[in-house]
Amino acid sequence: MSVRRSVGRLLPAPENFIPDAVLEEISAQGLDASRREFLRKSFAAASATLAAGSALAASNHPAPDGDMAILQPSMHSTRLGHPVAFTPYGLPSKHEANLQRRESPGLTRKRESSISFTPLQGLFGIITPSGLHFERHHAGWHDIDPREHRLMINGLVSTAKVYTMAELMRLPSVSRMHFIECGANSAMDWAGPAVPTVQYTHGMLSCCEFTGVPLSLLLEDCGIDKQKAKWLLAEGSDGASLTRSIPIDRALDDAIVAWGMNGEMLRPENGYPLRLVVPGLQGVCWVKWLRRLEVGDAPFATREESTQYLDLMPDGLQRQYTVIQECKSVITSPSGGQRLLDKGFYNITGLAWSGRGKIARVDVSVDGGRNWQTARLESPILTKCLTRFNLDWVWDGKPYILQSRAIDEAGHVQPKIAELRAVRGKRSVYHNNAIQSWQVSAAGEVMNVQLS
Amino acid sequence: MFNSRSVVGVMRGLTLSVLVLLACVSSAHAEKFARIGRAATPSEIAAWDIDVRPDFQGLPRGSGSVAQGEKIWVARCASCHGEFAESPSVFPPLVGGTTRADIERGRVAGLAAVSESSKTTMMKLATVSTLFDYIRRAMPFDAPKSLKVDEVYAVTAFMLNLADLVPADYVLSEKNIAEVQKRMPNRDGNTMAHGMLDVRGKPDVSGKDCMRDCSIDTNAMLLLPSTVNGLNGNLAEQNRPYGSIRGIETRRNP
Repeated sequence: MSVRRSVGRLLPAPENFIPDAVLEEISAQGLDASRREFLRKSFAAASATLAAGSALAASNHPAPDGDMAILQPSMHSTRLGHPVAFTPYGLPSKHEANLQRRESPGLTRKRESSISFTPLQGLFGIITPSGLHFERHHAGWHDIDPREHRLMINGLVSTAKVYTMAELMRLPSVSRMHFIECGANSAMDWAGPAVPTVQYTHGMLSCCEFTGVPLSLLLEDCGIDKQKAKWLLAEGSDGASLTRSIPIDRALDDAIVAWGMNGEMLRPENGYPLRLVVPGLQGVCWVKWLRRLEVGDAPFATREESTQYLDLMPDGLQRQYTVIQECKSVITSPSGGQRLLDKGFYNITGLAWSGRGKIARVDVSVDGGRNWQTARLESPILTKCLTRFNLDWVWDGKPYILQSRAIDEAGHVQPKIAELRAVRGKRSVYHNNAIQSWQVSAAGEVMNVQLS
Repeated sequence: MFNSRSVVGVMRGLTLSVLVLLACVSSAHAEKFARIGRAATPSEIAAWDIDVRPDFQGLPRGSGSVAQGEKIWVARCASCHGEFAESPSVFPPLVGGTTRADIERGRVAGLAAVSESSKTTMMKLATVSTLFDYIRRAMPFDAPKSLKVDEVYAVTAFMLNLADLVPADYVLSEKNIAEVQKRMPNRDGNTMAHGMLDVRGKPDVSGKDCMRDCSIDTNAMLLLPSTVNGLNGNLAEQNRPYGSIRGIETRRNP
């Protein structure tokens, strides 16, 4: 990225020395004597910090007699705050507005059939906030009235049945944390680095706690013909009435017909009021606005598995029904498009997951994969769920290439991009679970690169 | 010692008890979720169960001609997909890239070399049922499910004609669609011989868990092209505006 190559340390602009609360009061009430004094002191502190050559006015480098953030009583500690229920449904701080779902240019022409990416670069732990869960719609989203929503189960069952939401929500439910990854996550980088940040390379990935009734229980309630049942068709009630074929062993194992997400109802963008949760399977199988399940003895060859979500091999043969998301990981911080402002200690942190079970180990390399150290895994470590990893790192101002490599409980090791290309070529789209490389320059800039 | 006759008797008794037990279990199960869910009516199933499988299970009776399909196409489809279903301007192209040899062979040769952006639906598609099913459930994009069954047949017939699979005077129906299937250019182009269907299957590509002095090739490093700079917006505004890790200021080059 051709941006300010020569600058090693970013100097925060002194215009930020006035707290927002003061600016608001000034604009509302004008400058009085006490506020003038406050501004004078703040400006003096900011100027002194800059004059002293410190890079970080906003960090822990105080003026001679101490940090003004401590010495000067703050507006929030000397004024009454907002009352309860001021925002009846709470919102993130206005200071966090940069972290949003974002589109990437050039992917689709219709925003109703498009993608928005989760800002992984700014998230902590393993749970994706509901409002930041990635989106992939095929015919736009609706906010469906749950009183009018129905689930039908038909096909190879003794009784085809219809359930209302109220009936489904009376059934015994489970709550489980699982990742969901679009089969096309990291697709843009198959042939080479194409997008700048982890939001765009890996942001078709989210992880939430889902609540619902085990699918096996519903299928048994309808009297599934276990002898003949081999596949399950899941169908949405959106305009696309999106359909996918699910192998029956996945349907009867840990799949959930879910209404809950992170303790509340699903968000409309994520399938409100009902979606299928099929742990470990590519996101398109997790049919949203779920209206129908049909038990069959053969796959259904729907559009989403017959012209899309096919894996084109170098010889022109297409792999069909490649549903499992393989073992994968990525460092989310520091990551592409970011800049380290200073040398010193950093926590290298990221996420690991596997559609085949739990994460067993994550290794991190800072030298492009020549040497590796095993990272600390944070609990919980759950099956088919994101696992957070961390590694202590002191940056000495030299160039590095950061990588992470996940190993799942089945022993599968996340491959390099070159290893994937050797088998699948460069024209593939889906199932890119390659090790991600982030190059840290001497200027502290982090860039998406690939090593062959 | 049992004689053989008493063994048979015991076995019969056991089988009977097992059956009785199973019956109890299943009725107990039904009791367990009493008054939850109800039987779907035939009309309800007919309204929603519109999927068509490759073996044509679910295919409704009806018919439509290429000529009828062309009229519908011009009115309802061409603005996105182009007059000849060839346009890549809104969605990936639908028709093109297949040959008579492909139709003979059942494999589209062009798939071995074509780029992702120039792949067409007809090159990829193995099953004509999918075409019918998808048009019926999801098209037109802005008014899905607005085509009648005969219109779906007609639009399907028009597309099949564009792909040289049926003649211009063809009338497609539930009676002859299986004949078209035998001509689909990529009908033998898919495989399920891979490890990504079974959760206990084997991945096709596996990395190595080498820890020290592993072999790498830093000479062949691919960088993010500078033309990408700014395409995704200003990255400084996509990271927190405080802390010692910030987003890089990226401006689109004029």
